[in-house]
This record gives sequence, C-alpha cells and structure tokens, in this order.
Amino acid sequence: MESVSTIGRGTFVRGSVRGEGDLEIQGRVEGSVAVGGELSIAEGALVRSDVSGRRVLVQGAVAGNISATESIVLEAGARVVGDLAAPQIGIRPGALLRGNVSTGAPGPTAAAASAASAPAARGRAVTPVRAAVAPHAPHAPPPPHAPPPPQPPRAAAPARPLPAARPAPVARPAPAAPAPRPATPTLSSARVEVPVHVPAPSPSAPNAASAASAEEDVEDAPAFSQDAHGAHGAHGTHGTHGTHGTDTTQGTHDEEDLPVTQDAEETGGPPPPVVPTIRKGAKAQLRRKGAR
Amino acid sequence: MAGTIIGHGITIEGEITSDDEVVVAGTVRGKLIVEGPVTIEAGAVIEADVGAASLSVAGHVTGNVAASDRVDILAGGRLVGDVKASRLTIADGASFKGNVDMDV
Repeated sequence: MESVSTIGRGTFVRGSVRGEGDLEIQGRVEGSVAVGGELSIAEGALVRSDVSGRRVLVQGAVAGNISATESIVLEAGARVVGDLAAPQIGIRPGALLRGNVSTGAPGPTAAAASAASAPAARGRAVTPVRAAVAPHAPHAPPPPHAPPPPQPPRAAAPARPLPAARPAPVARPAPAAPAPRPATPTLSSARVEVPVHVPAPSPSAPNAASAASAEEDVEDAPAFSQDAHGAHGAHGTHGTHGTHGTDTTQGTHDEEDLPVTQDAEETGGPPPPVVPTIRKGAKAQLRRKGAR
Repeated sequence: MAGTIIGHGITIEGEITSDDEVVVAGTVRGKLIVEGPVTIEAGAVIEADVGAASLSVAGHVTGNVAASDRVDILAGGRLVGDVKASRLTIADGASFKGNVDMDV
C-alpha cells in the first residue's frame, strides 16, 4: 500500500513532489517531481516540471527535463519537451520528443553535466531516436550513406563496455545539420544498448531485431552495391545500345536487367533509366510522314 | 478508483487542488483543496489548510479545516486548527485543539 501513490486525473499539484516510493501521475503537476522509485506519467497527464526517478515511464506530456538513475521509457503517445538523461533510454515509435538525449550516464550527474560533455550528449541524441524510428521506415533501403560506416561500429560495438561508452571520442561534437553521418558510428552501439538493457516489456525488442538485421543488411550492402554499380554501369551502356539497336536484343537485355534493378533498389541506388523502345530514326520518320 | 493517493514516503509541498477523492498517507505542506472526500490516514502528516467536501482524520493535521459536509476525527487522529463544518465527530482517543464553527 505504501508504495502505491497516485496523483489522479482530476488533481492539480502546484509545488514539489518528493518521495521514496513509486508514483503514478494521471493529473497535472507544476513544480518538480523527484521520486526514488518508479515514476509513471500516464496518458492524459501533464507535467510541467523537471522529473526524476529511478525508472521513468512516460505516456503523457512532460514539459521539463527527465532524468533517471536506471531507465527512461517513452511510450507511444508520449510528448516530451525537454532533455532526457539516464543510463538506458527507450523511445517507442509514436512518442514525440524535443530535446537532448544522453545515455550512459547516471541521470543526476548527466543533468548537472558541464558544457564539456554536452557535445557528446548531443551526438548521442540522434541515435536512440533513429533506433526508434527504424521500425517505421522498414529498413529495406539502408540509406545511401550507410555502406561506408559499418566496419568501425561493428568493431567498436562488442569491444566497448557499456559504462565506458560515455567518454566516447566516437561521439565527436557534430554540427547539428550533418549530425546523422558522424553519429552513425555510435548508431549500432546505441541500438544494441537500448534493446539489451531495457527490461522485458521493452519497446526496443523489435528494435533489436531490426537493428541486427539492419546491420546485416548494411554489412551485405557494400558487396551488393559494388555488384550493382559494376553491373549497372555495364548494363547502362548495353541498354542504350540495345534501345538503339534491334528488337531481338531487347528481350535478353530485359532479362539481364531485372536483377540489377532489384539490387539497385535494395541498396537504395537509383533505378536504371527507363527508355522507350523506339527505334532510332522512328521519330524522324513519323515527323516526315506527318509533314507530308 | 480512488482519484489521488499520496502514499507513505511521498512529500508534496505546495498546493493540491482536486475534484476527486484524495487519500493522504504521506506528507503535505501548503494547501489542500478538494471537491470530494479527503482521507488522512494514520501516519500521514498534513501541515496545510484543508478544504474538502468531507474529511476524515486518522493522522496528524496542523492547519485550518473547512468541510462542506462533515469532519470526522478518528481514534489516533490529531487535529490542531480551526474546524468549519456542519457536522463534526471526534472519536474516543482522538486529540483536537482549535475552534469549531458549525454554522449554527
């Protein structure tokens, strides 16, 4: 009984809420919330304050920073404007977040972290979000820029122990705009972190699968793309010849070309140009006929 | 479902407004304004003015209390402050210090 605390739907608290046990917020809170146990912010709740707990589960709206000593999970429908700091952070598809995300550091210290560590936090910020978004966009097209980075992260990911992940020279301060590209080295490690360590009902379980398969894809990708490029280039020249040439070569050309287009799509490359099969000089003939 | 439960070990400093039932087993300082029944459980500490539809006190309350319906001070409960309510019961074993205004 003592651990069950609820701030109900019709309740508005203005001030500070502190305590050792678990707390569920269904109503509104303005001020600050700090509990020692599990903090759950239910759907329909609105919290305008900094929030901290051991584990924080968000399904409602939070305008303020969230820190946790264990984990933060944003469920679908959660709306958060503020920074997240916890050793483990999960963001399910459907959750909205605007703010920095920093994992790998215990909440309070990360919240109090100096500007020096801020860039690292920023670099990492991208990764969990991307991980969560991954299931949305079926990872079929590994982005064009994916092939280059796979080798370093795969080497780094297993080698790097979790807590030590923080001082990362990997998460080099990145200017905001091109963030995804430099952040990709941390990507795979972050993906691995999140799913593995968030507890059982984690949203990230599918992420794990997708991340793993995505990595496989990425790993496969370079070979594919090389094949595709090589073959594509060859066929490209072939193709133009074919269209200019006779119709008999056209059939075989199509059959050869088919797998190439698939490869190109898988690797995210541009599809081969579609050229209408009109014999050379046909247009001119038509025009001449029309003119007569 | 009880609307709001402030459990043992939870401390709220500030103002709580609610239009639902409130059960307090923890600590509240400031103000508690509820349009429903309020239950102060044994072990709870309230240092606040309380406004409620009805109030039952088994914990410790310090502050003025106003209830539109009734106030019950249960055995073991302690209330220090003025009470404004149309009905008031003070159980055997309860302690109370303050004025009573029953709208007579």
